[in-house]
Amino acid sequence: MNRREPRKRISERALTVWKLYGWINAAILSVIAIALIVLSIVFDWPVWVIIASVIVPIVDVILFVYVFPTLKWKKWRYEVRDEEIELQHGIFIVKRTLVPMVRVQHVDTEQGPILRKHRLATISISTAATIHQIPALDVDEADDLRDSISALARVAEDDV
Amino acid sequence: MSEQKRLHPISTIINFIKHLKDAVIPLVILLFLNRGEQDSFWAYLPLISLGVVLLVVLGAGILKWLRFTYRLEQEELRIEYGLFVKKKRYIPFERIQSLNYSEGIFHRPFNLVKIKVETAGSSSSMESEAELTAITKEEANELNRIIAQAKKRLKEKGTGSNLEIDTDDFDGAEGLGVIEEEAPQEKILYRMSIKDLLVMATTSGGAGVVISGVLIFLLQFGDLIPIEAVIDELVEVVQAGLVLAVILVFIGLVIAWIIAVAMTLLRYADFTVKLVEKDLIITRGLLEKRQTTIPLNRIQGIRFNQNIVREPLKYITVTIESAGGSALEKDSNTISLLPMIRTADVNGILEEILPEYEWSMEFKGAPKRSIFRYMFWNLLFISLVIAPVSYFFYPFGLLTLLLYPMIAIFSWLQYKTAGYRISGDQLTMRYRGIVRHTVFMKKKRIQSLELKETWFQKKGRLATLSATIKSYIAGSTSTVPHLEVEDVEKVLEWYRPEGQKITEKKKQLSTISTIVE
Repeated sequence: MNRREPRKRISERALTVWKLYGWINAAILSVIAIALIVLSIVFDWPVWVIIASVIVPIVDVILFVYVFPTLKWKKWRYEVRDEEIELQHGIFIVKRTLVPMVRVQHVDTEQGPILRKHRLATISISTAATIHQIPALDVDEADDLRDSISALARVAEDDV
Repeated sequence: MSEQKRLHPISTIINFIKHLKDAVIPLVILLFLNRGEQDSFWAYLPLISLGVVLLVVLGAGILKWLRFTYRLEQEELRIEYGLFVKKKRYIPFERIQSLNYSEGIFHRPFNLVKIKVETAGSSSSMESEAELTAITKEEANELNRIIAQAKKRLKEKGTGSNLEIDTDDFDGAEGLGVIEEEAPQEKILYRMSIKDLLVMATTSGGAGVVISGVLIFLLQFGDLIPIEAVIDELVEVVQAGLVLAVILVFIGLVIAWIIAVAMTLLRYADFTVKLVEKDLIITRGLLEKRQTTIPLNRIQGIRFNQNIVREPLKYITVTIESAGGSALEKDSNTISLLPMIRTADVNGILEEILPEYEWSMEFKGAPKRSIFRYMFWNLLFISLVIAPVSYFFYPFGLLTLLLYPMIAIFSWLQYKTAGYRISGDQLTMRYRGIVRHTVFMKKKRIQSLELKETWFQKKGRLATLSATIKSYIAGSTSTVPHLEVEDVEKVLEWYRPEGQKITEKKKQLSTISTIVE
């Protein structure tokens, strides 16, 4: 198989951010779990509610803090060539997307507070019909990428 | 025609009714409230407020009409409107893609039309389009002629400096220009017959309406049967119920069919497709006549739809995926090019409209080993329904087990349908949701292409192919699951821009950092 997979990876700091997201999620989940435990003690609910309330957050932490972010990062590849952008990502479902430069209409970078703190940015590439994102790139890289894509993208108006 | 013009006064009434439609629910509630004691003032309050509301809406309609003016000036359509804040919208002629006409019941006695100006829309097309609620046909034709001429002039002036590199046959706006001396060539490509109309109504979503109607009825009926009675006199009730149900279902079917025919007739009566220069013009409608213009160069792809009922009858629906169209007029977006046509007649018509497309129906299908995958998910999904129903409604719930063979056959059909075809610069994909879709796309119209591989697919060396083209303001994605992974990669390679294919080896190291100049 002559697979030409994209080679570039996204920033390693993405891992930190995704883990942080995982922790935030887990924190919210824990609050709910604790509430459930208290309620089931007060109102004498069945024991399995308590057991589930303990197990679910733990599993959540294992999966969404340790397992998935790492896998996700490992699977994320992209490459921007002269005439095309190729993306590949997904843990269980691997998606490989090809976007020709001439189809690109505009490129945006955006960052929320957490991304900004880690000097990361997400880049969104819009065609006339689709939007493709590369998450958590290094800010400088994202800016370069944005500038170069918008320089390379010459949409043939007629083809929209 | 550079002086300021108003719309025809009838537009006040059209506006009035339009707003009334929006306010119909509160008005109905008001009316129902009007059931108090007769003498007191409060009993009349709802009526009074109703009157006030009507007056206000009518007044707003009149004011709106007074404030709305349009004119043609300096190669622009200039519209000024707004109740309190004056708004101006200037649309340069060259941005105008087409003028779409429609005639409602209020237009027709006065020989008026409603005009919708369609612009070469960006995603913010809501902003850039305009609507003239009611003008006379002469004015409309004049408008059309002036805009077309102006566009032609602009085109001629601008040919040298134009940035259009693409030497496509359907290029730019020249096709929109009406040549001054000779009348534009008109060619009627298709006219829908009454028979086709009836077939369409009978096999349309109306069928779905019928089925859901029957289901609702059965559910209602189920409520009428007290549980104890069922247990006591099960046999009798079921028998009596069955007879009644059969009769009622039959009546329901007939009524639903009549409604479906009437609805179809309203929308599709007089359905005609014309080719004028390089525009497709579709006219249709019984009470409300509509005319939609689709410039050929805006066509992104062609889609054939065929539902299960229509398949054996050899009828299909042909729709256009077009880049034009507006967010406002949803109705015309779903309008078909050939709403109901015999499979055998399709190619002839399409070849006249889009000669550069290839309409072959030979496909490279999914490999045999993918049958299992088509079956697996469908059967798993239906099990989620069957298992609880069988359990809770034992023993009648077991009837749902019949769904298994049905779903199996359906999955097998999905497998048989799936396929793709590459011919020159064209990708054709065929797949089945419930309806069978065949999508014809040119390479340059495909916005992005995707190869998708689940963990299970990878084991079986299968992959899913998705292609997205622009369709009106959004995109339309076609997906063929479980193809041979090599095939999907072949399509991906076919889609890769030329430069990227040839120079790939040289540029192996050229990543993005080196591209930046």
